[in-house]
Amino acid sequence: MYICICEQVTDREIKAAINEGASSLRDLRNELGIAKECGQCGHCAKAMLKEHADHNRSERPPLPKQAPSCGSTDLFPLFGHAILASD
Amino acid sequence: MKSDLPTVKLLNRVLKNELTATNQFFLHARMYKNWGLNALNDHTYKASIKAMKQADDLIERVLFLEGLPNLQDLGKLLIGENTDEMLRGDVTLVTAMRTQLVEGIGHCESATDYVSRELLEDILEHTEDHMDWLETQLSLIDKVGSKNYLQAMM
Ligand code: FES
Repeated sequence: MYICICEQVTDREIKAAINEGASSLRDLRNELGIAKECGQCGHCAKAMLKEHADHNRSERPPLPKQAPSCGSTDLFPLFGHAILASD
Repeated sequence: MKSDLPTVKLLNRVLKNELTATNQFFLHARMYKNWGLNALNDHTYKASIKAMKQADDLIERVLFLEGLPNLQDLGKLLIGENTDEMLRGDVTLVTAMRTQLVEGIGHCESATDYVSRELLEDILEHTEDHMDWLETQLSLIDKVGSKNYLQAMM
């Protein structure tokens, strides 16, 4: 799905940038040009950064549970939350 | 009539979601149309127009309560890249709308604002109908597969 409407950037592109080391909104802004215009995508981009950080943290423990799927559909609950939070 | 401020704030938040839905459904409808998925275009286009009419009712109600309707605030649009993502984006929005409406109805009830409550109940009814339709589409995709589903929607 499209995360940044203004720059036509999708969740897959953002995920790829995060996997390649982008760790802050500023990194994503510099690399992909997101969150420069209306800024509406900032919430979601941050949620994705946080999910990646949490995921990495939870991967450390000795019992590596089945890796949470990063398929875009799993992100929808995240965004639902973002919608309500921004009210 | 003096404005009950929390109610105006509440109605404005519902308005924000209705305006967001108007735009999100509209864009999705025209994306479907562009792909030749006319059945999906028709249904989603109507949902967009309905959301706009509901926004209109909210605007009139806020004005009647001597508040200023906020048409400036718009939520993040959840635009998918394909039919499945688009339907899911709409489900996410509609689910958030439903939660908010249920809370809002409770508020209007306790504030004894029965006219606003009735308005929100009407919106809730349509929101739930649309949610039902969206969930049916997703379960159809599950059952018959994406290809067959899309063929039936042309
Ligand atoms: S949606 Fe990303 S800047 Fe507007």
